[in-house]
Amino acid sequence: MAGQSDPHISLFSAEEVEFMAEDELIEIVPNMRMDPLNFICGDFGPFLPQIASQVPLWLAVALKKRGKCAIRPPQWMSVENLTRVLEGERESQGAFQVLPFHYVEISRLLFDHAREDIPDMYMVRSLIEDIRDVRIHKVETSLEKFSGTSAVKIPNLSAMEVNIIRPFVGRALQAFYKHDNPEKIPDVDRASSAQTRAANNEPRRQLRR
Amino acid sequence: MANYYNIDDILAEEEFVPVVFHKAANGVIIDPSSETNSVEQGAKVELPLWLAQDLYLRQAISISVPACFNQRTRLEIQADAACVDLKSRSPYFYEFGCKIAPLVGDKTIEILLLSAFKIRYKEILTKAYTAAYTTASKFLTLLTKEESNLYEAAQVSMSAFKKWRMGGPRLQRASVLGRKRRSFE
Repeated sequence: MAGQSDPHISLFSAEEVEFMAEDELIEIVPNMRMDPLNFICGDFGPFLPQIASQVPLWLAVALKKRGKCAIRPPQWMSVENLTRVLEGERESQGAFQVLPFHYVEISRLLFDHAREDIPDMYMVRSLIEDIRDVRIHKVETSLEKFSGTSAVKIPNLSAMEVNIIRPFVGRALQAFYKHDNPEKIPDVDRASSAQTRAANNEPRRQLRR
Repeated sequence: MANYYNIDDILAEEEFVPVVFHKAANGVIIDPSSETNSVEQGAKVELPLWLAQDLYLRQAISISVPACFNQRTRLEIQADAACVDLKSRSPYFYEFGCKIAPLVGDKTIEILLLSAFKIRYKEILTKAYTAAYTTASKFLTLLTKEESNLYEAAQVSMSAFKKWRMGGPRLQRASVLGRKRRSFE
């Protein structure tokens, strides 16, 4: 993909994933009056005091930093929901609970910039950290089941989790692919062309893809 | 597979393979210690893979299975693949194996490679994500080039994530707090 810092290992840095997460919409309650903002990604506003409005997370954080709004934590960030999710994660070994794709980054941004807007901040924070640790551990155990090239399906993984395992899984699958298909096609190709090549000295690289 | 500018691919082809000459060759110095600069028919020599490959295709030599795929290694891999020191056998064990298998016509090499990689993969996975570097460093010396690349990929992405989780905006937060205090006053 274009735009990543190191295209060779096809990996986004955690900061880049965070940047992408900032496009997620979130509800804010402004305490100032402002005209609508017209962006390429859409129109937001008008902003009126105490009237809730949906904005991208980066705008919410920018306004929050200036003390112009309060951020309403999303629905899933409640203690009840997170407790339920954590229990679900611990009970089922294979399956992952449904959480927003960017839950790691969104929660981090909100903890950093809007801690006073989150009720039970410490509880929520430790719950999310627990959930994240349980999930990462589960990803690792599910990776252990790889034993050859097959389609891999792990539903409900979040962006950050995918990003952590991407370079490893990519390389591992490539290696599995290489050893799983013992080069049947080039092998046949080579055997049949061996004699002809010996005769007319074709350049070597063409034959070997 | 073959990547002209890939240094690992080039180095993998530097590995030596035992060959037997079918034809006598004049004017070549393969063994510097020999007195004549010719190779007799039936001479047993070790050649790098890239040379052996082309001579083989010209039907000048026959290639036998290299030492790193001998019976002893196979037994060790069957016993516990994760503990076998593949790096000392060949740092390009897998690539070398893939290249040599069609030349010696030995299908079992590929099966060996796959079974070895399957087991070692799990070991790398658990070591890369969970174990501390100090405990893993001993294990690292056993890995081939490809495996240590794999290990590093996992290690780097995990540590980058941890760094992001701990650091960065912490500094920003301090400035935000400072600003807020001013606005309260």
